[in-house]
Amino acid sequence: VNPLHEQFITEARELVQQATDDLIALDREGPTPERIDRVFRAFHTLKGSAGIVELPAMGLMLHAAEDLLAALHAGHVAADSAVVDQGLACLDQVSQWVDEFEVHATLPTDAAEAARVMAERLRALLPGNGSEPEAASHGPLAASVAGALPAWISDLVDSQSAPIARALGERPRALWAISYEPHTGCFFNGDDPVGMMRQVPDLLAFRIEPREAWHGLADLDPYVCNLRLRAISGGDRAELARIFRLVPDQVRIVEVPAEALRPGQEMAAAAGDSSGLIRSIIAEQQASIRASSGEEDFAGRVGAAARSAANALRHGRRGDWAERIELAGAAALSQRDAASLLSALDEALASMRDHSAADDHASVSEPADSPAGEAAARPALRLLRVDEVKIDALVNMAGELIVAKNGLAHLARRVQDTLGDRSLADAVDREHETIERLAGDLHAAILQLRMVPLAQVLRPFPRLVRDMSQRLHKKVALTTRGETAEADKAIVDRLFEPLLHLVRNALDHGIEGPEERRAAGKHEVASIAIQASRSGDRFVAEVIDDGRGIDPAAIRRKARERKLMAEDELAALSDEQVIDLIFLAGFSTAVEISDISGRGVGMDVVRTTVEQIGGRVSVTSAVGAGTTVRLDLPLNIALSRIMVVETGGQSFGVPMDAVTETVRLTPDRIRQIKSNNGFVWRDRVVPICPLAELMKLPGKPSGLEAKLLIVAEAGGKLAALEVDAIGDRLDIVLKPMQGLLAGAKGYSGTTLLGDGRVLLVLDLKEMLS
Amino acid sequence: VLEGICPVEDAEPLLQMLQMTPAGPLDWTRCNQLHTAVLQVILAAGVMPVGPCGDAWVRQWVGLEP
Repeated sequence: VNPLHEQFITEARELVQQATDDLIALDREGPTPERIDRVFRAFHTLKGSAGIVELPAMGLMLHAAEDLLAALHAGHVAADSAVVDQGLACLDQVSQWVDEFEVHATLPTDAAEAARVMAERLRALLPGNGSEPEAASHGPLAASVAGALPAWISDLVDSQSAPIARALGERPRALWAISYEPHTGCFFNGDDPVGMMRQVPDLLAFRIEPREAWHGLADLDPYVCNLRLRAISGGDRAELARIFRLVPDQVRIVEVPAEALRPGQEMAAAAGDSSGLIRSIIAEQQASIRASSGEEDFAGRVGAAARSAANALRHGRRGDWAERIELAGAAALSQRDAASLLSALDEALASMRDHSAADDHASVSEPADSPAGEAAARPALRLLRVDEVKIDALVNMAGELIVAKNGLAHLARRVQDTLGDRSLADAVDREHETIERLAGDLHAAILQLRMVPLAQVLRPFPRLVRDMSQRLHKKVALTTRGETAEADKAIVDRLFEPLLHLVRNALDHGIEGPEERRAAGKHEVASIAIQASRSGDRFVAEVIDDGRGIDPAAIRRKARERKLMAEDELAALSDEQVIDLIFLAGFSTAVEISDISGRGVGMDVVRTTVEQIGGRVSVTSAVGAGTTVRLDLPLNIALSRIMVVETGGQSFGVPMDAVTETVRLTPDRIRQIKSNNGFVWRDRVVPICPLAELMKLPGKPSGLEAKLLIVAEAGGKLAALEVDAIGDRLDIVLKPMQGLLAGAKGYSGTTLLGDGRVLLVLDLKEMLS
Repeated sequence: VLEGICPVEDAEPLLQMLQMTPAGPLDWTRCNQLHTAVLQVILAAGVMPVGPCGDAWVRQWVGLEP
């Protein structure tokens, strides 16, 4: 992937997120100049980035949004929810396109049209829309009008520009652009789309293309229409309407504005713009280097600046300069002096200016300083973006280091045993201790890297709650507390779904409508709080609502209807236990199934997800006063590596750290030692214990075939476990034995396998003693 | 060979022919009215028919790229 694109994708997502947050805050807490300014800057930066990666449709739409925000800033427009809604819709479109762009490196074919529609909607919110008093003073606006034309029209016009110009020269007339997307089943209705186009009067341009790329002849259904027909006509609008009267839903006819008929200009402007952007990127990098004073971040800044500048230059097809900048950057790094890079960037800037002066006279009059000044004013982020995979690799290596250092302890013992050299053994021991401490610290520090605040998953919630409460006609205020509490990324990431279910449930079932609340003597605006805190090595997240609460009687009734358990069992349950039933699969108390929740999934998903990461869910509720769901989670997922073995028809997990070797042993190597079987392994006699016997399971009759053994060491004892089969090696989250099993001996815990089975993990230390 | 008026029904046999011999040759010089469905098969197959299309409208407005 093109690094410039990658950077764009990451940044665009962040900007969309930030702008969404600010828009929501603006809606909830009212507009402040700083807030509007921040939203404006986010849109502005997004627009600039869209320009760099050449996404004109996105740029066009964002330009309209920017105009709206500028009007907001100037006080011409009130920051009402219509503005916020459109702003959010615009951001949704951007993020959808960014996703698309990530996969296909381009926007969907209808992007230009969608952008135009969105831009129109945004502009409709402007005061005196259409006339736009500022239009005259704004240079770029003229270009944006031409750009407002859907790309397909300008393409069509361009394809036949000479004949169109000639035709207009003969007789000036209004031009109509026709876009006709026949239904896939149109052939069965007797439609002949090309036949209709044949009737179009004064046809000036025509194009026929597939709506979706052809997938080869093998799968082609000749009677499914996959075509899009587009045309430019100078004919009569009424005549066109008559031709397409039977397919109004499939045809769009729009007037081609006169601006579109002057092709060429727009493209030149775009080229000038792009070189301006590259210049501003370079200037920004210079500013960033100059701003760096501290020694500690020198390498990071210089490296990043050289890379960004080189990328931008490459993008502008100035590969020669890109290489020079990279060389200068490397030199600056090795000399720890940025001067050479700065001067190389200066030269690059100068060359860009000369270059664009030759290309385009207009842009030379505009000095590159103004964007640079703006860039310098922006505070530099001192964050390092690291791919999660790299961190995980570090975690793994640190884990392996800890295992490797364990070998040193054995080494020290062997030194003493074989050489009888006490002092040497002590020296090795001391080194071992140092390395042990360092490896432990390293491991902890690396795990710390993976700690992220809960705020990360909470960001979408204000938006979600706003949308959902609007749809449900309920008034809800969301508060979040403790969002700075941190836990491992794996935990935090997996919290999103459960929290989403809980918030949805609270909104849909818990919170009452405004009238009901008023009748109950509560404040009309309900509250939902998401609250996180850290207690010891646990991470607690709670979703608290002040809604109608869970009625145990209703749950009992439901459980009886659904026949979830026997009548007498149900009667024996306390109210708290009854409320706990909502976590059962297939339980839903909503009277109606809504599109927000209430499909009978949800609460059981919450419990499953939370238990998978080693957590617990509990719920407390008071009728009329609200519900609190509490998720109690570990701070990080401690992964254990296990080996799955089978014996007597059952599977068990054996911790890998205890396993020394797996051996396949022919019967002739087995010796009878006292009453037990054993064998010689690396000069030691190892007793063989059939696992089936230890687990009191029916074992296989000991025949003459080779035995499968796991040589394991635990609690200082060496033994070989005889098993029937050895399965996968897995990284699992070990959950301590709970409930009825809590007292069971010989197990260190359980884990949930991918297929839903519960696997018991053996505690070898306890078993072998 | 496409001849005369090529109605919607011609799309299927044409597709079968092109599936067997994807490269053609396809002669459309003597066809004088091409239905959209038939044209769609030609477009989807990406074949370059032999000679100019007998259907003047198609000849003028449908550019086929080899």
